[in-house]
Amino acid sequence: MKGLHGIIFSYEKHNDLRELTANRTPSSVPFAGRYRIIDFILSSMVNAGITDVGVVMGGSYQSLLDHLGSGKDWDLSRKHGGLRLLPPFASEGTRGGSGGFRGKMEALAGVRSYLEGIRQSHVVLADSDLIINIPLQDVYQAHLASGADITAVCTSNVDSDCDVTFFRLDNEGRVGEVLFPLRDRTGCHRALEIYVLSKQLLLDLVDECMSHDQTSFRGAVLQAKASSLHIHSYVWDGYAAQIRSLKEYYTRSLELLDPAIRREVFPAARPIHTKERNDASTYLDPTGACCNSLVADGCTIEGTVENSILFRGVSVARGAEVKNCILMQDVTVSRDAVLHHVIADKNVEVADARTLMGHENYPMVIAKDSKV
Amino acid sequence: MKKECIAMLLAGGQGSRLYVLTSDVAKPAVPFGGKYRIIDFPLSNCTNSNIDTVGVLTQYKPLELNSYIGSGQPWDLDRLDGGVHILPPYMQEGERGSWYKGTANAIYQNIGFVDMYDPDYVVILSGDHIYKMNYAKMVEAHKEAEAACTISVLEVPWDEASRFGIMAVDKEDNIVEFQEKPKEPKSNLASMGIYVFSWKKLREYLVADEADASSSNDFGKNIIPKMLGAGEKMIAYRFDGYWKDVGTLESLWDANMDMLSRGDLDLLESSWPIYARLPSEPPAFISKTALVEHSVVTQGCEISGTVKNSVLSHGARIEEGAEVSYSVLMPGVTVKRGSVVRYAILGENCQVEAGATVGENPENCDPEKWGVTVLGPGTAIGAGEVVAPNSMLNRDHKEVSR
Repeated sequence: MKGLHGIIFSYEKHNDLRELTANRTPSSVPFAGRYRIIDFILSSMVNAGITDVGVVMGGSYQSLLDHLGSGKDWDLSRKHGGLRLLPPFASEGTRGGSGGFRGKMEALAGVRSYLEGIRQSHVVLADSDLIINIPLQDVYQAHLASGADITAVCTSNVDSDCDVTFFRLDNEGRVGEVLFPLRDRTGCHRALEIYVLSKQLLLDLVDECMSHDQTSFRGAVLQAKASSLHIHSYVWDGYAAQIRSLKEYYTRSLELLDPAIRREVFPAARPIHTKERNDASTYLDPTGACCNSLVADGCTIEGTVENSILFRGVSVARGAEVKNCILMQDVTVSRDAVLHHVIADKNVEVADARTLMGHENYPMVIAKDSKV
Repeated sequence: MKKECIAMLLAGGQGSRLYVLTSDVAKPAVPFGGKYRIIDFPLSNCTNSNIDTVGVLTQYKPLELNSYIGSGQPWDLDRLDGGVHILPPYMQEGERGSWYKGTANAIYQNIGFVDMYDPDYVVILSGDHIYKMNYAKMVEAHKEAEAACTISVLEVPWDEASRFGIMAVDKEDNIVEFQEKPKEPKSNLASMGIYVFSWKKLREYLVADEADASSSNDFGKNIIPKMLGAGEKMIAYRFDGYWKDVGTLESLWDANMDMLSRGDLDLLESSWPIYARLPSEPPAFISKTALVEHSVVTQGCEISGTVKNSVLSHGARIEEGAEVSYSVLMPGVTVKRGSVVRYAILGENCQVEAGATVGENPENCDPEKWGVTVLGPGTAIGAGEVVAPNSMLNRDHKEVSR
């Protein structure tokens, strides 16, 4: 069977999302008012016509399991194929029984029998901390046209505070050098950690890495084989954000208040799917004022809300003031409370007249279920 | 497999009093309250009442309704055994078979469907009411009274009683008389058009009614009076929550406004959720220039203008300088710069170009001539155009009289 199979890596990696990842993997961190981060790459796959997707899980994956369920919200609940959840599975010869994988190759080795059963000729590998809405069918077509062994998606925007991989491309767009970490990034491209390759090559690479006790895709494949394999770039200069730090999370979230960015992340032709919650519409009371904000369903707004993102079921009581904040599902802000630069996780309750102030450069995070 | 109780939802009506709003769709598929369609209410009530088998009887323009219901998954009605079934009229051997002649005939033609589940009780519902109701309690009352038929009733003001089907009852709430729109009502208990029948009994009456050539095969006109006449035990089940028949343009507008005021009909209250099938759209965006008051918004809305006392459905775009008040906007409506929309219902995907005026406040208008302005789905209003209060335009921009 021709076509693409999706594999998403969603085990815990080094990241700095602080309290937001205390009880969940980065991939299941709520984002943009009604989504989890994984929804973006998963929807990109579904919108590209991919019917089979495996999600390699590890760490605190309970909230991710709960979110993905049978996959029906992404139209991936199928008799054949569809969504396959791949929790850590300890077996002889592989490490990572708890899902603390040292690298992608180790994670793939852990699901080798799954890889063998893939029905499609090609596989797209992707990280789950990426906010992107990319037509992957175009990447696949470019991969077939270029005749490359591996196609690596990258962007010419090299700004990032986090640990990310960089490519140096030759004139034809072939990946010459793979660099990590890198200070002087002039002329480089930043890897978006989306790779297309054939199923057979993937299996060969997994076997080779296993027998050499190599765990890293970047080290053992990209760097070691940059000359022996044809690794070609696919430059994506549309919107892409790798959410690997709290600051990144905060700025990338509030960036969505810009209509131009929203149009790139949410084009009508490629909807982002997520788990449906069945809230009623949001009610805006005459006592309140809401401006420059993204507001999901099921909210009640009686206070002032400015430059903020409100997830489903948030309530802001009379006299309360919410500015430059991200309030996740079912957060309650009581009367006359003042919140500036706050990220409040799910079910946080802020009592009457409390004042909580973070700063643009250091937003205050309130952990899930806290009562302030 | 045997079920104790199943529901039959009458969804075939044309809804002619909704005029242009039902030009392409059956009445139960008309959008309501920003996120819903009318049929979401009875379907969600079934799910919340643990009724897992629902037959939906369709006849008039069923395509959109059929695709909306689909597998029944949004209402948790995609079941291995039972679930939601669309039941259109069908041909039978010897070229028999016909359109549904009336509400009772629709059930009669589907006796075979009901018998598949061999239920003790059948709940008959209609697809044009907005309410949250626990049918399980009503079935419980029906069982306890060992009734043949239980009719859900609502106390209405005495001076309005003559507009309804009225149930006169004795001290135990046994129905003694049924009066259809009586000049001199004997009670103020109005039928809500929701019935529970013991299936064996109803089956007998349906067969007899079919054999009667003079019958109009209707529950209210034929079955109920016949059962009463035969001395069957029939009880009234009193309901005291919010209930509204949204079969007219005015009542549809009223019910939307009732939802806004969050009195008896509070959809944000989460113990009895109403489910809906929805497109995947990002959260509503309310811009710097927007002013939104006493209104509901939902995903996919982009608001830069002024919105007051209005219900906005998904995908509504209100541009800067536009003003929408006391209006109901169905999915996909765009109101451009400087336009004013007041006291209006705008059907799906209406486009109001810059500087247009649709509808008017009642205080600025001759009371004789005032009324809610209605635009049918897909109507385009040109720049600067004025649509008078109480007028109604269809997709081809032609005035439709009510």
